[in-house]
Amino acid sequence: MSHSGTGPVVSFENVSKHYGSLKAVDGLSLELRPGETVALLGPNGAGKSTSLDMLLALRKPTAGRIRMFGNDPYHAVKGGHVGAMLQSGGLMPEVTVRELVTLVAGLHPRPVPVETTMRRAGIESVADQRVDKLSGGQTQRVRFALAIAGECELIVLDEPTSAMDVETRQRFWASMKEEVAEGRTLLFATHYLEEADQAADRILVINRGRLLADGSPEDIKKRAGAKRMSFRLANANEPFLLALPGVVSLETRHDLVQIQTSDSDATLYGVLDAGYRPSEIEVGSLSLEQAFIAITAEDDRAGEAESATAGQSVR
Amino acid sequence: MRGILLLTRTEINRLRRNKRYFMFTLALPVVLYLIAAKQGSKAYGVDFAAYYMVAMASFGAFSGALNGNVIRISEERKVGWIRQLRLTPLPANAYVVAKLLTSLATTIPSVVIVFLLGATYGGVHLPAWQWIVIALIVWLGSMIFAALAVAIGYRFAPDQAQPITILIYFVFTILGGVWFPLGGFLQKIGKGTPTFEAIKISTDVIGGLSVPYGLVIGLVLWLALFLGLATLSVRSMAESV
Repeated sequence: MSHSGTGPVVSFENVSKHYGSLKAVDGLSLELRPGETVALLGPNGAGKSTSLDMLLALRKPTAGRIRMFGNDPYHAVKGGHVGAMLQSGGLMPEVTVRELVTLVAGLHPRPVPVETTMRRAGIESVADQRVDKLSGGQTQRVRFALAIAGECELIVLDEPTSAMDVETRQRFWASMKEEVAEGRTLLFATHYLEEADQAADRILVINRGRLLADGSPEDIKKRAGAKRMSFRLANANEPFLLALPGVVSLETRHDLVQIQTSDSDATLYGVLDAGYRPSEIEVGSLSLEQAFIAITAEDDRAGEAESATAGQSVR
Repeated sequence: MRGILLLTRTEINRLRRNKRYFMFTLALPVVLYLIAAKQGSKAYGVDFAAYYMVAMASFGAFSGALNGNVIRISEERKVGWIRQLRLTPLPANAYVVAKLLTSLATTIPSVVIVFLLGATYGGVHLPAWQWIVIALIVWLGSMIFAALAVAIGYRFAPDQAQPITILIYFVFTILGGVWFPLGGFLQKIGKGTPTFEAIKISTDVIGGLSVPYGLVIGLVLWLALFLGLATLSVRSMAESV
């Protein structure tokens, strides 16, 4: 590993990418530290792919600066410091899997033996098949093989398991953990939320091109309101409920009140202290999926109100 | 450079499995030559068999460089292979350079085969230096069409690239005097085409005429034009490969 310093592996400094009036990425700042496994989590159109494209020097930011290993992204990619697998990346047709992996390994300054790469990616059995005759899942694994065909310090994956069934997905993450255990930094984009929860030790939530939350899966859940609470209460007063301690978001339908809260005890005591007597009280934990929806929904509302200050919409 | 050569070698290997390449670049010119080489006596001041040898060598080389490359480049952009390559340590322009090198390499067999056929079946006898000069002209002429293929293939999706290519292909083969020698009106229109220029330079060499500088300059201008267009295509598509 040539990158032995303690500086960030990747840094985005106030990076934006605009297509006409569309702000695909809007003032994004973040840093990845060596050895981290980071999930970039967001709904479709949140700016995940555009961010990764800019990181990999496929697109130029409209504004801001991206550094990788203290260098500009193009030179980091050309120096073989990054292995990447994008959803939009394709394979050369009319060659066999082995020929393709051999080619890409050969382009690398520090190639990994082809047999090792094929074993790690689980494609030994299709090594002599033509790449244009593979199934979707097999194609995805070949693309993964190309990402790890050289010794690199950073692996970038865009929706890596989108074409895989559950079993393949588990195998994939198992082999991924081997890669990371060797000290590599891993950044992957996903909208599989349990995947982010299970595989990452840090999650970046982005929506509408901005960073909404940055923390461990536990932090993210806490930040969105770790608990979900529901009860029935006639004549519920929304502003009052929203002002209760811990409340992150609120939804009412007739007399049914659903609250996401970071402190369910304090919220409930607040209701009772005000003299209300709600019925059918239920308190449950939020899955990461629900936390994620809460964070992005909050942000979308802030965006619609147009009064929001960028990046401040999550409490 | 090592990466470019590696990619070029893989591209050449790949082409060996491509039936289109064998049919259109290698087989078709041979078949046409066998059919038509003895159907005339003189063209452009040389034996018809000699003219037709140059014409068919150009046909194989040029159509191989144009048709095959346009489709491959366009499809490879569509499926994301160009994008994938840009994620490797290979320099950004290496893909195009490798395509041009591959084209130069895979053009050689079609030129050699037709020339061998001309020397045997066609009874074309030339001094060694003439063989070398006309081979070089046809060979380098194919670079013009490889550059055009990059310009079209890199910019257009396969369904658009195909008709555009077919149109250009027919214009340049018919007006270039590839299938039959041009005379009168057609030659007036066609004499500016790169195909005509390449063939006429070769027949002038065979006929022992002085070097037609105007035609040579014409070829160089075509090459410059198409290389320029190719560069524009690659630049303008830089963020959408």
